[in-house]
Amino acid sequence: MTDVVDLAPVQAGASRERSWLNHAAIFLGLMLLWEGSSHLGWLDPLFFPRPSDILVGFWRLYITQGNIWGHLGLTMAEVLAGFAAGSLLGIALALVVGMSDRIRRYMKPYVVVLEATPRIAIGPVIIAAFGFGWTSKVVIVMLVCFFAPFVNTLNGMVNADRDQLEMMRSMGASKWQVFCKLMLPDAMPEIMGGLRLAMASALGGALVAEFIASNAGMGLLINQYTGVLNMASAFVCVLTLTGLGFAIMWAMEAVDRRIVFWNDRESTAEVSKRLALAWAHRNGDLA
Amino acid sequence: MTPRIDFLSFAGRGVALTKHLAVFAALMALWEFAARFGLVDTILLPPPRQIAQGLIQLYIENREIYWHFWVTFLEALGGFLIGGGLGLILAVGSAQSPSFRRYVAPYAIALNVTPGLALTPIIIAWFGFGMSSKVALGAIVCFFPVFVNTLIGLTRTDEDTLEMFRSLGASRWQTFLKLQVPEALPITFAGCKIAITTALVGAVVAEFSQGTAGIGILMQRFAFALDMSSAIAALLSMSLLGLILFYLIEILDDLIVFWRRDRRMEAVGRRRQARWEAGLSKSRD
Repeated sequence: MTDVVDLAPVQAGASRERSWLNHAAIFLGLMLLWEGSSHLGWLDPLFFPRPSDILVGFWRLYITQGNIWGHLGLTMAEVLAGFAAGSLLGIALALVVGMSDRIRRYMKPYVVVLEATPRIAIGPVIIAAFGFGWTSKVVIVMLVCFFAPFVNTLNGMVNADRDQLEMMRSMGASKWQVFCKLMLPDAMPEIMGGLRLAMASALGGALVAEFIASNAGMGLLINQYTGVLNMASAFVCVLTLTGLGFAIMWAMEAVDRRIVFWNDRESTAEVSKRLALAWAHRNGDLA
Repeated sequence: MTPRIDFLSFAGRGVALTKHLAVFAALMALWEFAARFGLVDTILLPPPRQIAQGLIQLYIENREIYWHFWVTFLEALGGFLIGGGLGLILAVGSAQSPSFRRYVAPYAIALNVTPGLALTPIIIAWFGFGMSSKVALGAIVCFFPVFVNTLIGLTRTDEDTLEMFRSLGASRWQTFLKLQVPEALPITFAGCKIAITTALVGAVVAEFSQGTAGIGILMQRFAFALDMSSAIAALLSMSLLGLILFYLIEILDDLIVFWRRDRRMEAVGRRRQARWEAGLSKSRD
């Protein structure tokens, strides 16, 4: 769904540079408008911090106080641990379940109900069960990250091409071969899509878990700053999370290009060149 | 043409339903026994019987849940209408003008990669503890799916068809209404289905943070009192709410995008034909 989207066509050369300048100009204009209306008293700086205050906040939180690093690291650790555990569990379970038609049929109603449930909503129950510390957050992120890979893997396994399946069977492929050579590669783009969705929601899951009850992390930091109406610092935290979101998105796209290389023309060319080289090398050795 | 009931498939469905129920009953029995023999901690994960009791208490004896259910429903729906409406408007604007799209895109992407739920405390500081903050958070988190899907649907029109529209001298408005919109609607509705469950998440999370009414508050209260059977009953109510919201969009989808389903298309076609014939006979008189 929220996959790679070509929102703006990329232009080449000089016009690209000019459009970049235009973007910067518009952004600066907006910021100046904000700053000005705050100085003129149209916007209450208590609730809508000035851009200059936010910049000062960045300096304060990252350098003079430096208190954001620990919280940021903790939240990142929660996200990564929960994501790894949840998505691995989801994919593994889906691979097991996906091999059998019958189990899949009986699981369907539960999957539908679980999909409709706001996953994060289970937060208070998990926190009551696992306490206020680190574990409960990882478990919540795990739950949030479980369903998208699970459902997508299941879908991908079902959607294997019938004709190809028929052909592999008629040529006497074993069940394991069918799985490795047909079902898994066919499901891979969808699995990656699921992983991306999971990663996108993982950060939100960790933050909500920290909002509900915690003693450290970005969620707590935002909560504390807003509680004392230090909005500039709260905005610094949110903008940091925006940056983190961008980094995660890019990382997932890079991984996607590497694993599902056959969907990307450049990567395909590169891989096939490498394979051809290896093959030629081996042949040369033999000759 | 009278609809013919296919008894064979009807019976087949009955058998399938019985099997599903049997599997469900077996799972519940397993869970109940596991709790009985101390394999599961009953304080944290109460057996099904207690959850059923919790449901009965919430819905029949206590009846306080209906109010909370209604509040959360309104919050989610309001958030969806505002966020989805904004997404729709911006998407239509972006589809009409490439330069508008270029300048809106970076902000839309930045909003998308920011976990919207991270804004919860700030939104609550801005909008207060009442319903408006929940609606606002719901609107923020459900904006993007509608925006992106509508934009994709509006811009990915078939080149050949577009060519034909142009060569037949269709105006810009006609192209939009007769080509782009019908093409985009199915994808837009897919986005709406995602968005409305996201809006529910936004509303519930805002309730967790601060709030006076709603299922989120109810559930948090139960969970922190370690009244787990009631908390899980509230959680199941949230699933129900999610399903209701989802099917609301599904029904709208069915009504509006009638050409995607054969049965609906037939019905609409028949109705239009009847109207056309009526108009024809009237003009003849």
